[in-house]
Amino acid sequence: MSDSDRPFLPETEGCMIRVFGRLLGGAALCVLLGAMSVALTRPAHAQSTDRAKHLSQELFCACGCTELLGACNHVGCTYSHAMLQKIDERIARGDSDDVILQSFVQEYGEKVLAEPPNKGFNRIAVIAPILAPIVALFILWEVVRRWRHRAAVAGAGGAPVSPELLARARNESGKGSDE
Amino acid sequence: MDIVGSFALLLAFLAAVYAFAGGIAAVITRKPLLIKSARNAGMAVFGLITLAVACLEYLFFTDNFSMAYVVAHSNRALPPFYKFAALWAGQEGSLLFWSWLLSIYAFWALFLNRKKHPELMPYVGATLAGVQIFFLTLNNFVATPFKVLAGADSNGLVHVARLSEGSGLNPLLQYYEMVIHPPMLYLGYTGFTVPFAFALAALLGRYPGEKWIHITRRWTMVAWGFQTVGILLGAHWAYAVLGWGGYWAWDPVENASLLPWITGTAFLHSVMMQEKRGMMKVWNVWLVFVTFMLCILGTMLTRSGVVSSVHAFAESSIGGWFVGFLAIIFLVCLAAWYKNRDYLRSDNQLDSLVSRESSFLFNNLVLLAACFAVLWGTLFPVLSEWVTHSKISVGPPFFNKVNIPIALFLLFLTGVGPLLAWRKTSFDSLRRNFAWPLAVAVLAGAVAFAFGFREVYALVCLILSVFVTLTIFFEFFRGARVIASRDGSNLLSAVGELTMRNTRRYGGYIVHFGMVLIFIGIAGQAFNKDVQKDMGLGDTLSIGPFTILCQNFDDVANANYESERATLEVFRNGHSEMMLYPEHRLYLASQVPETMVAIESSPLRDLYVVYEGRSPDTGKPSIHAHLNPLVKWIWFGGIVVVLGTGLALMPNRRTALVLRPVEQRSWGDAIAPESPAAVRAPIRRTDSHE
Repeated sequence: MSDSDRPFLPETEGCMIRVFGRLLGGAALCVLLGAMSVALTRPAHAQSTDRAKHLSQELFCACGCTELLGACNHVGCTYSHAMLQKIDERIARGDSDDVILQSFVQEYGEKVLAEPPNKGFNRIAVIAPILAPIVALFILWEVVRRWRHRAAVAGAGGAPVSPELLARARNESGKGSDE
Repeated sequence: MDIVGSFALLLAFLAAVYAFAGGIAAVITRKPLLIKSARNAGMAVFGLITLAVACLEYLFFTDNFSMAYVVAHSNRALPPFYKFAALWAGQEGSLLFWSWLLSIYAFWALFLNRKKHPELMPYVGATLAGVQIFFLTLNNFVATPFKVLAGADSNGLVHVARLSEGSGLNPLLQYYEMVIHPPMLYLGYTGFTVPFAFALAALLGRYPGEKWIHITRRWTMVAWGFQTVGILLGAHWAYAVLGWGGYWAWDPVENASLLPWITGTAFLHSVMMQEKRGMMKVWNVWLVFVTFMLCILGTMLTRSGVVSSVHAFAESSIGGWFVGFLAIIFLVCLAAWYKNRDYLRSDNQLDSLVSRESSFLFNNLVLLAACFAVLWGTLFPVLSEWVTHSKISVGPPFFNKVNIPIALFLLFLTGVGPLLAWRKTSFDSLRRNFAWPLAVAVLAGAVAFAFGFREVYALVCLILSVFVTLTIFFEFFRGARVIASRDGSNLLSAVGELTMRNTRRYGGYIVHFGMVLIFIGIAGQAFNKDVQKDMGLGDTLSIGPFTILCQNFDDVANANYESERATLEVFRNGHSEMMLYPEHRLYLASQVPETMVAIESSPLRDLYVVYEGRSPDTGKPSIHAHLNPLVKWIWFGGIVVVLGTGLALMPNRRTALVLRPVEQRSWGDAIAPESPAAVRAPIRRTDSHE
């Protein structure tokens, strides 16, 4: 919030925002602690079958069914069986997840990955959904700031209130508790 | 019948053109006769398309295999249930079905308002007719369902060919939910045309007051309700038929149905800002416009083959038509808004950052962020291929990563938003409304954590679900307690009374509660387990607390399909619990194999067993068992959402004071002094609907 807006913020509201901020902060801390404890309690080396299952969710089946490899259940699918077998073999050989995924990319192209590769133009795929809400939040903030500024200026000016407007306000405040 | 159907469609097209042109002329000239005739033409479209639909159904039920559409989507052995549903199984029929549902909505809207809003309705009629013209153009000239098969004889003369058998219905569609899922979804898609028509009409006609927004909101709620049912039925169909153990795969077609639902949800919330405070008018109008445009975009994605999808049953090169139509709609909306933007000026400003208004702003921001993320992920492969010339995929890992945090934040707002007051919320009110729910929710989270609940998102979802449920519960409890103490009724009947007095508000809370149930069901996904095994007779497979024993394999056949079936006995703690019969079918007409999943569902977990056919390695039947916790909560939550939506659409019950008929009294009584009882007696409370 800019300094010019501060005078329009009543003390009680400032207090409420602080309380809300603390509540949100507390919630965020809880989530963070939860996440840390999860990271600490999880075994460092998961079982190979879990890894294989995880990797099969990171790849699409190459048969063209548009299902994830782990979800492709087409009877007699000539791809999924061999692909799953390859994952097991690579894990047994001690390859890392990245190496295994790259081996599939080399064989079938980047479209086999369930997520766009985080490089070049495709980085935008990941960045845009994060950036868009931030930009929208900034726009929203600007709109709210202008509204509040306009409301404060109108209030300070003491613009005369017409009887019609007053009647409508009374009517609306009467309905205000409905929703 | 095909000729009658074709002519009916052609006449419907002409009637729609007349309704459109007549509507525009009526707007300009304001001649009552022209207004009436344009409206009648708009209503006649419904009758004509109904006739065409009836003709096509007749052709299906009489196995008329001289019709290309019937040959492609039916066969003699197809059960009547599915012959009826074959209407929307392919491109041509589903477009006809779309036109028909749109004509039902148009008829309904025009008929209900035939004596209301004389300034608004000609615009509404013309807009509806404009949309109908587009779809009837496709029905008549691009993808006609009444195309006959042509063949040439030995002399080279072309005549109508008649096959002895059809190709059959896509086996994936041979499931009872397919009879109801597409109609529900289409009722959602087409339903959003009506609020679009009213919003555009109000803007073009600069309709005074906020009445149009009330009308738009109700129609949006109807369409939103159908869309919700359609999406959930689709998810259930995917779960029960596709056999991969899940219900939502972020497939482009699934995403296409979600997009207008999200913007429709945003509108149903932000519309309250306009109704109560005269704010966010531009935003609301654009939300309605965008929702309709997303419906068209979704239809285009489903049919054009722009993005590949497991659900796209009707791909063709029809996409160009939809792109053109979308461009026209966008330009019309843009021009209407630009010309009349002063009409949409806000009446009020935001008074406080901690208020109902600001929560709606946040809610809309988050919903739009979700909508953008889904749209972006759906279309990014096309964009990437266009820029980099190499194909990539965007699948569930991307969508989950982006949308789960957004969804959880929305869940948080679901609890917070409704309890904030309009204009400004005091600190006391915050404390009163949130202290207990927040404390209990955190406690529930701590208990779950102590019991080994280690999935972060699921844990956050649980905490927020408890929080939202309690805030809703306290809202009902506080209101009901006031009524109970005043009327002397019990708390349960006071809850009913409270709900019926403000159906929109309390219906909304019920919808929110339904969403909480759905969230809990989705969170259960974090604990899914699955085991796959090639099983011979007598082999066992263990998953969670269950042990599955393979008892038998047999073959089942009827005129429609042949099936290999497994007979599995399920044990729990050494006791036999149930029998499951997963199947692997081969549909004879189409020669397409399909799995029929066996699901044992309970509120705690689903045991989901798939017979995937014989393993190429061992030759034994391959059984894939999934243990999916809490899935039932999703379907139950969906029912609650639908009930809440229905309730919110009902009129409020208003408390009225009615005089009790005065008892006949003698002359002597009349002059006698009135007793206290006589003074109190004449007034009693009764209830009436608005």
